[in-house]
Amino acid sequence: MRTRSTATSGSDRRVMSRAHSRVSWSRRDLLRFGGLVTAAGAVAPLAACGAGSGSGGDVELQFMYWGSSFEQKAVNEMLRQFEDEHEGVSVQPLYTPQEYETKVNTLVASNRAPDVAYMGATMGYRLAEQGKLVNVFQYFDKYPQLANRLPGTYFWYGKDKTFGTQTANEIMLLWYNKAVLDEAGVEYPPAKADEAWSWDDLVEAAYKLTYDQEGRRPDEPGFDPKRVRQFGVSVSVQYTPSWECLLRSNGIDLVDEAGTKCLLDTPEAIEVLQNLQDLMYEHRVAPTPVQLGNNAPTTAVQLQTKRIAMVLDGQWILLDMSQSDVDFGIGVLPSYGEPKTTSLGGASVIFTSSKHPDEALELYLFHNDPQHVDLYKNGLWMPLELKYYTDPEAMKSWLTEGVHPPEYKTAVVDYALNNATTAIGQRLKNMDNISEVLTPALQRVEGGKEKVADIMRSVVPKIDELLQGWHPTQEL
Amino acid sequence: MTSAVSERPTGTRVRRRRRMSGQSRLELRWGIGMALPAILGFLIFTIGPMLASFFFSLTDWTIGASPRFIGFDNYRMLWNDELFWKSLSVTTYYTLGAVPLVLVLGFVLALLLNQKVRGLSYWRTIYYLPTLVPSIASAVLWIWIFNPDFGLLNSLLRQAGLPTSQWIYSETAVVPSLIIMSSWGFGNAMVIFLAGLQGVPRQLYEAVSIDGGGAWQRFRHVTLPMMTPTIFYNLVTGVIGTFQVFNQAYVMTQGGPNNASLFYIYYLYRTAFTESQMGYASALAWVLFMIIMVVTFMLFRNARRWVYYEMAGAR
Repeated sequence: MRTRSTATSGSDRRVMSRAHSRVSWSRRDLLRFGGLVTAAGAVAPLAACGAGSGSGGDVELQFMYWGSSFEQKAVNEMLRQFEDEHEGVSVQPLYTPQEYETKVNTLVASNRAPDVAYMGATMGYRLAEQGKLVNVFQYFDKYPQLANRLPGTYFWYGKDKTFGTQTANEIMLLWYNKAVLDEAGVEYPPAKADEAWSWDDLVEAAYKLTYDQEGRRPDEPGFDPKRVRQFGVSVSVQYTPSWECLLRSNGIDLVDEAGTKCLLDTPEAIEVLQNLQDLMYEHRVAPTPVQLGNNAPTTAVQLQTKRIAMVLDGQWILLDMSQSDVDFGIGVLPSYGEPKTTSLGGASVIFTSSKHPDEALELYLFHNDPQHVDLYKNGLWMPLELKYYTDPEAMKSWLTEGVHPPEYKTAVVDYALNNATTAIGQRLKNMDNISEVLTPALQRVEGGKEKVADIMRSVVPKIDELLQGWHPTQEL
Repeated sequence: MTSAVSERPTGTRVRRRRRMSGQSRLELRWGIGMALPAILGFLIFTIGPMLASFFFSLTDWTIGASPRFIGFDNYRMLWNDELFWKSLSVTTYYTLGAVPLVLVLGFVLALLLNQKVRGLSYWRTIYYLPTLVPSIASAVLWIWIFNPDFGLLNSLLRQAGLPTSQWIYSETAVVPSLIIMSSWGFGNAMVIFLAGLQGVPRQLYEAVSIDGGGAWQRFRHVTLPMMTPTIFYNLVTGVIGTFQVFNQAYVMTQGGPNNASLFYIYYLYRTAFTESQMGYASALAWVLFMIIMVVTFMLFRNARRWVYYEMAGAR
């Protein structure tokens, strides 16, 4: 991007210095030259990929991953430990916090893919179907820890074909700032699925937690929605995992069972999405995208700074929350009947191009093993293996006092086990192209200028054209 | 170099040419030798990839798979691609707004800075400064300026009792907002205008004064005609540059809301690197190249009517 944008100014500068030193080209020549260079800049950067080669040495692996700087520290520590326990093997960390897919794409195109890597679902399916990722199904008998994971965490791309599971597990939760709720006299959101709030309960609480600069509530006369000091609640509309579970709670899903018909224009789906829009524009208890602002602090930070009282966000923010001095609490999501949440997580994969497949597999087994990585204990990750949710002993091995609050057992562990459905983005085919249509539609919902029913009526036929069914699943 | 040779008096042609040709051959050799790194760089890193991308534009190539030759199917697909047309119209809208704005601003400020005022170089530096701010930094800065709640622009409007705007967060206001932001980058155009202004011959102004002309006549009949080549240059590079606008969409809006700022290059980038459709993205790149070429060509054709070159040879 840099090259493209500076192409013009580069040639400008050339002209400038010439003008100053009074050496004159014909102006026409200059223009032609400048024009050609700039125009060429539009096409050139695309094709700049060539073949590369790996390096020699003993056994050298590359591990590619994303994450916060805290995650970076923990992962590098895990890699160092792996090197200690495996003599003659060194691992080079490829930390890529931004533009991960771009980087993977360029590495794959130039035959320099890493050995083991984090991977987004859509890209994972594509690379697996191209034969670029190892089918780990073949190792299930030898390594039972690969076969005993939560069924929803696997990425299947054919019969007996899986490119692995999520790196770790995550679910969506309702976070709140205890001090703020106490102050307003609002009861904490329930921490047990069968006691979950109804949607109306959430709205009612949010009203009590929202006030403008003069301290007026949204239902009081003179409330100034342009100068809101504290919002009651925040739910992302653009981020599908935060509301797809509400659809399921209301007895519907984004698409039908065959995965070929979009259901977002059904009354149940419209009810859920219209409720989300109403939080912002009807009740005015949630920030609009305009009020939130692009590049704004994360909702977790805004919870800490009392800008927002309750936030619907992922389990992973526990890492940050537990490090801050905020007295926070965790509740289950509001329910439309059947309590539901979304489980999700990026994949971890092994590339078939690895020159050291055995060591790569070792690293793959090692990198998210709760025994080696402290990212479970400090709150970023939830384990993949079933026993960590059911066996009290195993549970003790990752639940940490001072990090995981007392309500965590029911609000997160049990909730994840009994009420979670895997995010649709990890299971539906052609997700890239579907998002390209769905995201602008969700931005329209957030914009608040049109009713949800009208938006969905115009978008659903377009999504229908793109639906190609589900990726396969398999019982173990 | 070449003009210096050809403009020599032609009196003793034969003898001189023989002697000069030795020198000019030397000059040629050294000249090309010195320019070789640039020429090679251009061939290897610009022309080479361009040719490669043209080949890829004729293939169905998803990164990771092998390219499959499909002829002009990618180009045919473009025709029915809603987002292609959307991005093209958004980009054209931006160009039509940003280029005139930057030209006018740059020209007016260059005129002002061409006066004899105190602290001239100080002012020139001040006005050029925004251009030196890295584009990502200025994009992040403008996100705050545009913030509807507590941004600079809305605060000013509120104080003046004027209606506020949602700026980059509204479908209708996002492109105009980015056009306003583009005015921030008038510095380059301004400096080129300044250089042009200083090349306007003094005697022409004197002639107007002798004929009794005032400031307006000096501007209208000397400055403006003599500046047309510079205006033209800024126009052409401005159009080419704005057609490739990218950073604002990438940093500030991600093409939203509802694709209202889906600039062409941003769409191309997304197609290539997020969706891994290299073949299709290459076709997008070539179509843009063609569009820019045609537009530039038309500008040059049109220029004959209004651009004045003092020396006919400069054409």
